[in-house]
Amino acid sequence: MASVEERVKKVTARVLNLDVATIKMTDSFTVDLGAESVQSIELVANFEEEFGIEMDEDAALSVDNVGAAVAFITKVCKEQGVQI
Amino acid sequence: MRLILIDGPESKRANFYPLTLSRPVFALRVGMSSLAEKLSAKLGLTDVACFIPEYMAAPFALRSTYTVNKVESLKGDDLFIANGRIKASTFTATASGPSEVGTCDNEVCWARINKADLAKLKTDSIEALLASAKAILPNKPCGAEMWNYTWDLILSNPQVLADDFKAAGRSGIEGSVEQPNAIRGDKKNVFIAKGAVVHPMVVIDAEHGPVYLDEGVEVHPFTRIEGPCYVGKKSILLGTKCREGMSIGPMCRVGGEVEESIIQGYSNKYHDGFLGHAYVGEWVNLGALTTNSDLKNDYGSVSVMLDGRTPIDTGSTKVGSLIGDHTKTSIATLFNTGSVIGAMALIMATGKPLPKFIPSFAWYIDGNVTKGFGKGKLYGTAKIAMSRRKCQWTPDDEKMWDAIFAMTAGPRDEAVKRARKAMLK
Repeated sequence: MASVEERVKKVTARVLNLDVATIKMTDSFTVDLGAESVQSIELVANFEEEFGIEMDEDAALSVDNVGAAVAFITKVCKEQGVQI
Repeated sequence: MRLILIDGPESKRANFYPLTLSRPVFALRVGMSSLAEKLSAKLGLTDVACFIPEYMAAPFALRSTYTVNKVESLKGDDLFIANGRIKASTFTATASGPSEVGTCDNEVCWARINKADLAKLKTDSIEALLASAKAILPNKPCGAEMWNYTWDLILSNPQVLADDFKAAGRSGIEGSVEQPNAIRGDKKNVFIAKGAVVHPMVVIDAEHGPVYLDEGVEVHPFTRIEGPCYVGKKSILLGTKCREGMSIGPMCRVGGEVEESIIQGYSNKYHDGFLGHAYVGEWVNLGALTTNSDLKNDYGSVSVMLDGRTPIDTGSTKVGSLIGDHTKTSIATLFNTGSVIGAMALIMATGKPLPKFIPSFAWYIDGNVTKGFGKGKLYGTAKIAMSRRKCQWTPDDEKMWDAIFAMTAGPRDEAVKRARKAMLK
C-alpha cells in the first residue's frame, strides 16, 4: 500500500491539477501550490474520502503545508482506528 | 392574570423551520408585530411567560421581556395558557371567564385557569399542568385558527398589515419628510413615527393599503413604498422598489425590489435583486443581485421541502424562499421557487437556480454542499455581523447554535456525501 505521504501528494496533485513529482513536503498549499480557499475545502474533502476519516474543519484548514498534512492525517487515522 | 405562551408540539414547530430552529414560533412576525404580541394584545395581558425548547431558552430570554421556562410562572396567579400558533384575529376566547380548556385535534390549544382551580392541578411542569387541566377542567373546541406553516404568515401578511394598522390607530407625520415628495392615496393611511426621516424624491403609495414607518426609519431617495407596508425601527430603505405586503423588522437595510415578504430583523438586502413571498430570518446578508423566484413558469402550485426530502404542496402559486438566521449569499445568487435555505449557511452562486433545499450550516460552493471551513468560521462571521449592530454574540448563542448544528446534521451529512460522490466521479 502507498504511504500516507504518497497518498497525500497524489490527492493534492489531482485537486490542484499539478504534477505529483513536483510536490515537496515543505510546499505550502497556498503560497507554493496555489490553492485558493475553495480548493482548500476540496482538499480536505478529498483527504477525508481517500483515508476514510472525519477531520475537524478548523484544525484541518489550519494545516498549511504538505508535511504538516501528512502528520495531521496520520494522527487522525490513528485516533479513528483507520489502518494506514 | 398571566399569559403563558407555549411553543409546540415539535412536529408543528418543524413546519416553520428553518426560522424556528433559533426561536419559538410565536416570535415570528406577521403584519406589524410578532404572533406573541398579537395574542398578548388580543387578550389584554401584559404579564407574559413562556415555555420553549430548552436549547434556545437562554438566548431567547436574553433578548425578550418574557419569563422563559420558569415553573414558578405557573403558580400564584390566574393563568391564560395559549399555544403561540393561535391566529389572534380568529381567537374568540377571552381572558376572563371560568376555568376551561380549548382543544384541537385532541391537543390543548389554550387553557384559562383561575387561581382557585390551580390548586387542583399539577404545576410541577407545563406538560403536567396541561395534562391535568385537560383531564379535570371542562373541554371545548379551540375556537380559533392556527398558523400551520411559514407561508401562511407570508400569504396573510397584506391583510394582517392592514388590520394591524387599523388597530394601531395612528396616522400622520411625526418624523421628517423632505420635499419634494409624494404621498398617494388617503394620508390617513400613512404614519411616519418620530425620528423617521424620508429623503426627497420618495413616493409613498397608500392608495391600496396603509404604510407605517416606525421610529428612526430612514428612507433614501428614489424609494417607492406601496401599502400595505410596515418598516421596523431604525431600518433603512435604499432606493427600494418596496411593493405591497412587506413587513420589515428592526435594523434592516433593504434595497432592490421586494414584495409580500417578511424580514424578521437585523438583516441586509442592501442591493438590487428581487425578493418576493419570502421569509428572511435575522442576521441574514443577501449579496448584490440575489434573487428568488416566487412563481413557477407553469403558474402551478408551489411545493416546499422543509426536510429536504418530502415536498409539501403549499396550495399557493406564489411562495418564494424561506431563509434561516445568519445565512449569507454571494452576489448573483438565484433561489428557485419555494426554496428552503437553512440557518448559518453560506451560499456561493453558480449562475443557475440553486437546489430547493440547502441544509443549515452548509457551505454551498461550486454547486456542492460542503462542510466548508466549519462552524467555527461561521460563528466568527456571526460575531462580527452582530457587533456591527451593537449586539453581542454570547456563549449561550454558541451553545444554542451547537445544538442546532447537531439537530440538522442528518440532511447536511447526506448532502455532503452526495456531493462527494459527484466530486470523485
